[in-house]
Amino acid sequence: MSLRPLWLSLLLLCSFSSVAKLEEFYIELKDHIFVPERIELPANKKVKLIILNRDTTAEEFDSFDLNREKVLFPNRKAVIFVGPLKPGEYEFFGEFNPDSARGFVVVKEPSDVH
Amino acid sequence: MNKSLLGFLLLVASFCHLSPAHADGLVVDKVYHPYVLANEKEFEWRIMSSQTENKNRLGQRFGYGQSFAENKMLELYVIGERDQDDNFGVTGYEVEMRWMLTEQGQYSADWGAIFEFEKHNGEDNFEATSGIAVEKEFGKLSATLNAFLIYEWGNSIENEFETEFRAKFRYRYMSVLQPSIEIYLGEDFVGIGPGFMGTYRFEGQKQLKWEAGFISEISHSGKDHTLRFALEYEF
Repeated sequence: MSLRPLWLSLLLLCSFSSVAKLEEFYIELKDHIFVPERIELPANKKVKLIILNRDTTAEEFDSFDLNREKVLFPNRKAVIFVGPLKPGEYEFFGEFNPDSARGFVVVKEPSDVH
Repeated sequence: MNKSLLGFLLLVASFCHLSPAHADGLVVDKVYHPYVLANEKEFEWRIMSSQTENKNRLGQRFGYGQSFAENKMLELYVIGERDQDDNFGVTGYEVEMRWMLTEQGQYSADWGAIFEFEKHNGEDNFEATSGIAVEKEFGKLSATLNAFLIYEWGNSIENEFETEFRAKFRYRYMSVLQPSIEIYLGEDFVGIGPGFMGTYRFEGQKQLKWEAGFISEISHSGKDHTLRFALEYEF
């Protein structure tokens, strides 16, 4: 069996990995509410969404729109890599408190992000 | 063409170039995603029914899994198959460890590793498997690849290395319905067919996931179809 094409392709795939420092955006979870509930992110860029869970209980960040799921441990930071995304609204929520812990990532052209 | 997509297609082509591909038993099973979620527990049931010109094979797995770190999960399976006399029984036991190697979205593709150890029921025959799972997002499309290297040894089987390759191209249409195309390569088997998966959420971490696929052998003439179905209850 020839393994050369496999290794060449793995090398190619790894070489496409992003190593640049990513822009960071912050959300806090307190009293089972994400603050801010709407966060603006630049379009067509990969960014770090950093969520600080200030509650004493764990939460689980879930978003089918963003294709991300991550446990937010109490009093810890969680990093979620997001994008590149097209302009639009992407909903997320906390699985343990879906009625209160809800929010939107609002993706805009970089010049429109505040 | 997008560089990442090109790289991914090259990876698929490379796995297809591995020849001959070998694996005993039912080749069609499940395409593993490279992700593990902390605090996750699950019960799992899989059924694979294969129909050829002269036989009907049936395999089932019952499993319980639990994550034991933020990125590692252990799952235990009882494996059953129908034998030559059409009797269904337990044929083996397996322990499986899945390891999420990279954070989702951190790099251009997400990577995971899979390690399995299986003992055949009532016989001193064993299988040790190492595999990788790679997933890449292209907007609402996701491509997932699995490659496995298997070593079998024991008293009543030939000691040998085997390889398996699985791929799934999925459209994340909605949570409950995500259609896909699946590809399986194994011993004298090249199969492709449609599938779908979905998730229904109850409350908290409780959710039911389902997967199904209908895979047809395409490397030789003659009937060889496999229907697979899997249910996972996560809590």
